[in-house]
Amino acid sequence: MMTIKRVQMLCGAAVLLGLAACASDKAPATADVAVSRAALANATSAGAADLAPVEMQSAREKLMRANQALAAKDYKTAQDLATQASADAQLAQSKANSAKATSAADELQQNIRMLRDEVNRANANSTTQQ
Amino acid sequence: MKKLHLIPTVFAMSVFFAACSTTPTTTSTLDQARGDFVAAQGNPTVAASAPVEFKAAADALDRANAAAAKKESLAEIDKLAYIAKQKIATAQEIAKQKQAEADVANAGRQRDEIRLEARTAEANQARSAADKARMSAEEAKAQADAARMQAEAATNSARDEQAKNAALQQQLADLQAKQTERGLVVTLSDVLFNVDRAELSAEGMRTAQKLADVLLQEPQNAVLIEGFTDSTGSSSHNMELSQRRAESVRNALIGLGVKGDKIATRGYGEAFPVAANTDAGSRQLNRRVEIVLSQNGAPIANRR
Repeated sequence: MMTIKRVQMLCGAAVLLGLAACASDKAPATADVAVSRAALANATSAGAADLAPVEMQSAREKLMRANQALAAKDYKTAQDLATQASADAQLAQSKANSAKATSAADELQQNIRMLRDEVNRANANSTTQQ
Repeated sequence: MKKLHLIPTVFAMSVFFAACSTTPTTTSTLDQARGDFVAAQGNPTVAASAPVEFKAAADALDRANAAAAKKESLAEIDKLAYIAKQKIATAQEIAKQKQAEADVANAGRQRDEIRLEARTAEANQARSAADKARMSAEEAKAQADAARMQAEAATNSARDEQAKNAALQQQLADLQAKQTERGLVVTLSDVLFNVDRAELSAEGMRTAQKLADVLLQEPQNAVLIEGFTDSTGSSSHNMELSQRRAESVRNALIGLGVKGDKIATRGYGEAFPVAANTDAGSRQLNRRVEIVLSQNGAPIANRR
């Protein structure tokens, strides 16, 4: 939720920037690159660097190229690359989150199995003792 | 929602029909995105748990399909298809995350249930251990009671035995029993028999009854009944009379319940006088039956 808000804020800032930049391709491209940078940061803080390295690498590389295109005033390419980098980063973040949730669920399931075994053993012992 | 999902399919169909007339405008990335979308559509949890992301993915695929329909450049179609593909994957990952989170919540419930079960089992175990302890305590108490009763019974029987012994001693004293080296000797005097007869008089029977009482209380003891006469009369008559008198006492005792195999008899006639046969009083002393009681089951030594 936090991340979506941050993205929205960044979007808002980008729109303001766009209005200020007086209608050229430069403004939306710059905004898209900023959004993509934010998405990458969010993905990084979700641990995607370890949990979704392929998508993260792709996002980083595209963001770098988008920045280069921006510098070269190739706004169309910059915008395309930024959009793709955002999609990659969002996928990386969701992958990281789902991996964490899945491993938490697996761990709990494992704990439950152990607990269940323990209880069964204790019950078996008590019945043999009687 | 349902309508929304149909749109890409409709596009796919329109693309398919377009392909009949002209060369198909698609890319491998677009094909892949379409396949992924169908898979995501097939999983109902994706639309349910990631509705925003799923709609964004559907919109992205629509844009790619529209570009393909308009026969835009392959590079442009590829670009849009890639975005769609990533967004579809994102929606699927979010659905997976939600599912895992639901599993976590469910696991917590399961764990609580198991813990409750374990605590219940522990309580049952503790209760059964307490039951067992109580039962063994009761058992121990019962054993102690039994031991005490046994001890009391032993004390009582010892007391009874003592009383019996005392009674026995009293009875022997009544019979004027004399302790000799051969055992206790009870002498039945002549007056207990009728003159020159072997039958016991009424008084003799009473004495025989006392004797029987003693013998019945001491069943292990053997008895030797010895008959004697004075020196008057023929010695063969005296021998026979002494024997008959001894037998008579034996029969009386058997009649009173004493086992016959415990009782031996001997007639000695005028032998072993206890007084000189010079006057009537002395002769009367010699006319007698002596009953020897063995003590503690020892055999009775023969008269020497």
